[in-house]
Amino acid sequence: MATMNSGNNSNTPATAQVAMPSQKQTVSTAKTVDTQSVLKRLQSELMALMMSGDSGISAFPEEDNIFCWKGTISGSKDTVFEGTEYKLSLSFPADYPFKPPKVKFETGCFHPNVDVYGNICLDILQDKWSSAYDVRTILISIQSLLGEPNISSPLNTQAAALWCNQEEYRKMVEKLYKPSV
Amino acid sequence: MTCDTSSSGCDLDILDSLSDDSILEISENWNGFCASSESLLKGSDGDESSLNAEFVMRAENLCKHGLASLVEQHLFRSIEEIFERNGARRFWSYFEPYSNFAPSETNKDPILEEEIQQVICKALEEISSQKQFQEKCLSLLAHALQSYEEDKLQEKANPDSIRDYLFSKYQLIVSSVLLTSLPHHFPGILHWYFKGRLEELSTIAAVNSEDEDELGMNDKMDLDEKTKLPYKCGDMDSDINQKYAVFSENNKLVKNIGMVVRNLRNIGFTSMAEDAYASAIFFLLKDKVHDLAGDDYRSSVLESIKAWIQAVPLQFLRALLDYLGDFTSCDGPSSGLKSPLASHPSLCYSGTGIPSEGLVRWQLRLEYYAYETLQDLRIAKLFEIIVDYPDSAPAIEDLKQCLEYTGQHSKLVDSFISSLRYRLLTAGASTNDILHQYVSTIKALRTIDPAGVFLEAVGEPIREYLRGRKDTIKCIVTMLTDGTGGNPNGPGSSGDSLLEELNRDEESQENTIVDDDINTDDKQAWINAQNWEPDPVEADPSKGSRYRRKVDILGMIVGIIGSKDQLVNEYRVMLAEKLLNKSDYDIDAEIRTLELLKIHFGESSMQKCEIMLNDLIDSKRTNTNIKATIKHQAQPEQRDLDVSLDNLNATIISSNFWPPIQDEAVNLPEPVEQLLTDYAKRYTEIKTPRKLIWKKNLGSVKLELQFEDRAMQFNVTPLHASIIMQFQDQKKWTSKDLAAAVGVPVDVLNRRINFWISKGVLVESMGADSADHAFTLVETMNDTSKSGTIDGGCEELLAGDEDGERSVASVEDQLQKEMTVYEKFISGMLTNFGSMALDRIHNTLKMFCIADPTYDKSLQQLQSFLSGLVAEEKLEFRDGMYFLKK
Repeated sequence: MATMNSGNNSNTPATAQVAMPSQKQTVSTAKTVDTQSVLKRLQSELMALMMSGDSGISAFPEEDNIFCWKGTISGSKDTVFEGTEYKLSLSFPADYPFKPPKVKFETGCFHPNVDVYGNICLDILQDKWSSAYDVRTILISIQSLLGEPNISSPLNTQAAALWCNQEEYRKMVEKLYKPSV
Repeated sequence: MTCDTSSSGCDLDILDSLSDDSILEISENWNGFCASSESLLKGSDGDESSLNAEFVMRAENLCKHGLASLVEQHLFRSIEEIFERNGARRFWSYFEPYSNFAPSETNKDPILEEEIQQVICKALEEISSQKQFQEKCLSLLAHALQSYEEDKLQEKANPDSIRDYLFSKYQLIVSSVLLTSLPHHFPGILHWYFKGRLEELSTIAAVNSEDEDELGMNDKMDLDEKTKLPYKCGDMDSDINQKYAVFSENNKLVKNIGMVVRNLRNIGFTSMAEDAYASAIFFLLKDKVHDLAGDDYRSSVLESIKAWIQAVPLQFLRALLDYLGDFTSCDGPSSGLKSPLASHPSLCYSGTGIPSEGLVRWQLRLEYYAYETLQDLRIAKLFEIIVDYPDSAPAIEDLKQCLEYTGQHSKLVDSFISSLRYRLLTAGASTNDILHQYVSTIKALRTIDPAGVFLEAVGEPIREYLRGRKDTIKCIVTMLTDGTGGNPNGPGSSGDSLLEELNRDEESQENTIVDDDINTDDKQAWINAQNWEPDPVEADPSKGSRYRRKVDILGMIVGIIGSKDQLVNEYRVMLAEKLLNKSDYDIDAEIRTLELLKIHFGESSMQKCEIMLNDLIDSKRTNTNIKATIKHQAQPEQRDLDVSLDNLNATIISSNFWPPIQDEAVNLPEPVEQLLTDYAKRYTEIKTPRKLIWKKNLGSVKLELQFEDRAMQFNVTPLHASIIMQFQDQKKWTSKDLAAAVGVPVDVLNRRINFWISKGVLVESMGADSADHAFTLVETMNDTSKSGTIDGGCEELLAGDEDGERSVASVEDQLQKEMTVYEKFISGMLTNFGSMALDRIHNTLKMFCIADPTYDKSLQQLQSFLSGLVAEEKLEFRDGMYFLKK
């Protein structure tokens, strides 16, 4: 029978950085955020987005302003938007993430919840916003909105009306689609 | 006579005035002159004085008739004929047998040598005596011409002018006759002769000096025995004289040579003789240099070579020149009659006199030649010399002096670079060796050339090559920080890190070199300006001036890598590895190294490393604190395990500042797990709100295994420990079950369990399933031998295993990770902006890629990275813009 004497056991733990501000903080604690932490937040969102590798969505800050991003969404497979690619602009408020960013379509998009100016009607970009959302989730939401529009409160009634006829709708999308160069 | 008709035909006026009587007289005199000169030149036995008188009389008579030039011509012609027929032909016939003799022959045949020596002497002797004889005839003619002139002008003519004229003409005839019939092997024979004589001379000198030494020894012994006799006092003075005496003793030999040289000069071979003995001396000198220098670099040979030059060839030349000088000074008609063996007062030997100009010239020539020979020899072996650099410093010093004389630095650079390429910069040489050689090269060349110009040229190929090696940075860091660890068998490992050495070096340099920084005042600036020296011509003008090029070994090493950041990063990884494997908190050595690195790289770049060390110090304190709390509160419950917190030491790290740490899940045995939780709990109590996250796969475990018949101690990783711990309760496990119990994949388990198998603690057997092995605990040694486990290979096995398992991600891994991040960013921006120029990508990365890993590459690096992506067909490049490949 063997017995074992476990001797000097030296293990190496790491301290968790408790001070890290939780990303799920509620809006109530906010208001007094400095630009620095917004920058930091956007930085890490950019990093997370770059590293996530989600297909069909992408965004990147413009030239020298991290508050203004350009986004790209491609239509999901098996939807009428398949094979199209839409440019978006995202502008982040100074008190982000306590306020949602303003997101607009730059490319014309024939969609029940997008008006001719590119404004988007999406709950999480308005009253349902939470600081838990980030660029990535916004882009995913918009991508899925393309395939599953909210017909009940349309911005583009023509599109909403046509939605039931997917074949016609597809033709309309193709007709109006002007890809950016 | 054919000539007289033609010559008398020219003088038509004289012909007219000639009377029949005088014609008769002339023809009679002419016939008489011809006959007498013939018999004179033939040296017939008759009465010499009457013959001479008749010859002079006839010649005088003919001169009176204005036929002086005819007389002269006739005599020269007959002399030439006779000399050609008898003298030259016979002279060369002496050397006929040696026509096939090759002077470069290495195997010396002493008999042949002796023979040639004698032949040369004899032949020269003979031809000289012939020449003397003919000169005697000439002097008779000179006498006749002179007395005629005196009669004519009624005054005393200068006897020398006629004589000199005749003799120089004769000399010309002799040498042209000899030279036109010169056999091609004669210079070789001459060279060989001189070489042989010089060698003889130098051996005599060597023997003598040895004798001297022996004598000295004997003297000393005698001194001891005889208790210092007063007459020994003069020894010192006689020492110097003795040296000269060596040569005066060999006077005969020198004189023999001198005679040969003189005879050669006599027959007009002055330059040939000089060539021959000069080349022989040079040959001997070269041999001597090679002999003295050899393959030993541990001592300086330059002085002994110089001493030898003084002792042998110069003494020889002095003797020779003295001899010849004596000869030429009393050069005259009588000199030929003077016995060559007549003793000369050798005043110069012991004389205090100033050496003659010729001798000084010879000395300079010889020394230059010696410098050049030694330099060539050393340059050819420079690679070896630098390999044992600190020991071979004398050779380097020699080389430096030689180069100062000869100025052939470029030869050094070319030859050294080619030997570097051939011998060092090959796949077979380890990076460590190359680095050590690089450092030695820097040190050695710094001695030769403090300005670092040649170093620049020589170092570049090494740096170029090292940049192509993957492990360069690692080796550099090891070499810098770890004196013994890096290359224990390699040269120059003095158990001291290079960094320490550099530090000492720098301190000593700073003491000697005046730093010319901006703060120097005007006076200092003026002094600096006055001390300015132009760069050597070989300097590359693009490399900046000499004062900006102070030789900085560390700088040159860092220059291999390009930036110090990479070096620092590599060091951080190595430090992390080292610190994580420490079981005590002793980090004195690391602190010292860090301080040294700080001096060279600055505080800020070493900040992370400093935090790592501080973590260790904090850990020690925290650890003690936690232990103290246990002692405070008496153990409330009696635990049923034999492990107490006393046995646990934790290293608490601030992971943000450490390199990425490999994480691997492992199930520790329940008691240990309990212990860790307990420890963490206490930590939280002390350090709220912080808490511990254990990296269970790191660290080390000291354990003792007790078997029925033996006990074994090990120091292993936690994973190894938890594997063997499983066998405490259950002696047989299948690999699947065991892997599940320990919480690692089966392949990892199989890899790790090899350690215990190699130690003979476990045996492996095939289970029911071929992929599922069974492991059994070996309880007694008896079992071990039965199962036939290998003991020999276990260490290597372990080492090989340990190699693949590191607790910290290596720099290469980090670099790989960085590159992936950059690639994602680039594809992200190109997706949204369509196309971008290189500059914009660079700037955007700089702006937004600032978290870990920070973008710190140069534009060039980015460009090459992008080109790589284009080559992988991930990107497109058109009109200066990058696109995503669709």
